[in-house]
Amino acid sequence: MPTLWIQILSGSDKPIYKQIVEQISELIAKGELSMGDKLPPVRKLASELVINPNTVARAYSVLEQSGLVVTKTGSGTFVSNPELRSSDAADINALTERMDTLITRGLNLGFKSRDLAAMFKDRLSTFVKKRESEKKK
Amino acid sequence: MIDTVLKTEALTKYYGKDLALDHLDMSIPRGCICGFVGRNGAGKTTAIKLMLGLLKPTAGTSKLLGCDSRQLKPSIRQRIGYVTEGHRLFRWMKISELEKFQQRFYPKQWDYKLFADMIEYFGLSKKKKVKHLSNGQRAQVSLALTLAPNPELLIMDDPTLGLDAAIRRQFLEGMIKLIMSENRTILFSSHILADVERVANRIVVIDKGVLRANCTLEEFRLAVKKVKVSFTHRVPDEVNIDGLLSCRKSEKELELTLVGTDDEKVKHWVQTVGADRYQVVSMNLEDQFIEFTRPSGRKRLFQWEAN
Amino acid sequence: MRFLTLMWKEFRESLPWLLLATIVLLAMGGFTLRLEIQNPRPDWYYSGITPGETVDTYRLIQSTVLSVPGAWLLVISIGLGLASGIRQFWMPYFTKTWAFELHRSVSRATILSAKLCTTLLAFCLPVGMVWTIFYYYSCRPGLLIMPPPLRIFIEGWIFIALGFVTYLGTALVGLSEARWYTTKIFGLGLAAIVFLMIFHWKLSWVFTSMTIGAVMLLSQIIYTFHNREF
Repeated sequence: MPTLWIQILSGSDKPIYKQIVEQISELIAKGELSMGDKLPPVRKLASELVINPNTVARAYSVLEQSGLVVTKTGSGTFVSNPELRSSDAADINALTERMDTLITRGLNLGFKSRDLAAMFKDRLSTFVKKRESEKKK
Repeated sequence: MIDTVLKTEALTKYYGKDLALDHLDMSIPRGCICGFVGRNGAGKTTAIKLMLGLLKPTAGTSKLLGCDSRQLKPSIRQRIGYVTEGHRLFRWMKISELEKFQQRFYPKQWDYKLFADMIEYFGLSKKKKVKHLSNGQRAQVSLALTLAPNPELLIMDDPTLGLDAAIRRQFLEGMIKLIMSENRTILFSSHILADVERVANRIVVIDKGVLRANCTLEEFRLAVKKVKVSFTHRVPDEVNIDGLLSCRKSEKELELTLVGTDDEKVKHWVQTVGADRYQVVSMNLEDQFIEFTRPSGRKRLFQWEAN
Repeated sequence: MRFLTLMWKEFRESLPWLLLATIVLLAMGGFTLRLEIQNPRPDWYYSGITPGETVDTYRLIQSTVLSVPGAWLLVISIGLGLASGIRQFWMPYFTKTWAFELHRSVSRATILSAKLCTTLLAFCLPVGMVWTIFYYYSCRPGLLIMPPPLRIFIEGWIFIALGFVTYLGTALVGLSEARWYTTKIFGLGLAAIVFLMIFHWKLSWVFTSMTIGAVMLLSQIIYTFHNREF
């Protein structure tokens, strides 16, 4: 089980469970958590972060609903197989929302759409390369 | 059948002519971690003391573990841990003597190891007398004394008042540890909303002696929202929408704080007043609490309870 | 076990005052006893008192070698009564420890009994023992022409009992929820009345007034302790 570096900010606008969901999603997206990796047990994470175990359970449940993790009763919660994940309407929605924010910002700051697209392509390939190298380790 | 560990019905307390608590209706199920929040002087300590039988209600009832608060049997008190306001302990006693004193009242359930571990973790010497401890250290001892008997119901009266962040964190850790044990119920009053958010799964808001909210933390978080509405033309003079807590006007914008108003209603209202667009602004729990307990110019107090 | 624990706590809290009282009594009482024995006064042994005359308590003790130790006993008893009452029933307000004291897995009656019993024992044992020592010493053969009568011994115990009544009065004052000063100090007022009885009434009157006073105070204390707010 890899060490999970999760930090929560108390007093934040974002509910705690959402912070956990986002951070774990991020770790999965970056490849720092890969298929088959076990997430820390609910109680352990709750104890470390000093939060109610229900909050951790809720975060795991949300992650499971979005297909990123799978819970096997008795064993724990594991990162799911990316190929088996289906992107449903909610996922697409969430992604387009973020894309819209990015596009609006870029355009408002004066970037040309051509440059924005190039930047995006560039970042995407860097990310994928990094992920491939993580997998090889 | 839900096992209700704490129940108050129309609990009222007058100090002479001053109304300290106005018809408090509260029921806490077993296993609940309930954050009891309110501003200073809202009536939290009064409510807690009434629940523990230290004060007499002017009207209404209060029951702990099924037993009336004014007639709490010793066997019931045995199951209840109480962290008192200010963590007041016997000043002349050494920590070891306090342990012995407290332990004698919980002969079968005292966790020696837990107490020893906690004292060691806090870096305290058992030979030190309470009068030589700082406020924070006294709070630590108080926590250890209350957690060692592994109480079924833990009631804490503003346990982190005046304590530094590190000690506050220790309190939260202690509470989390207790939560992990089966079926423990905790009621703690606090005005540090960030702590409540971490630990509680239920929130009870009290303001000027009146119960203002009693629901799960999640429901409260979802219910209180801030909406920014923009207008190209004039901002309307009258704002009539359900659940309005407060309203701030600028030339072309209205900032509304709402409680319990679902998205549909907001959309509908925005359309009705002919606004251009609206945006939901996220709030943290502290902001939500402040807005929720802001004195309304129209003196409209309403109780909001989601079930 | 819990009762004993409570008593231990009360005992440790009143220990400084108890020690002070006992030591002062032993020292000053003993010293003056020696002085009195060495300097016999002409008005000892009921001079001026006709047989069969009913005598005020204090007047009798005054006419013996135990007069000054007796006075010390009276002062110490009253002082200890005040100190114990204040320590047990006034101090918890200032240290704000009532909540901690009262949230125990014992009845309120038990908590109150522990306080009362500890003080009762404190009066009977250390203080009472010192007085017994004084009396026993002054009865030693060859020391005085005539040993002081048993009644003197009893009168000393009356002073000790008065100290306990003062304690009860002080306790009631501390527990009283009355807001008017006159009502609030009723406890001490009653103790003062009992005190005055000693100097003007016969022994049987003294016993009766002491008993009635103690019972009144005790019943009021029990009622208030169970019903008051903390």
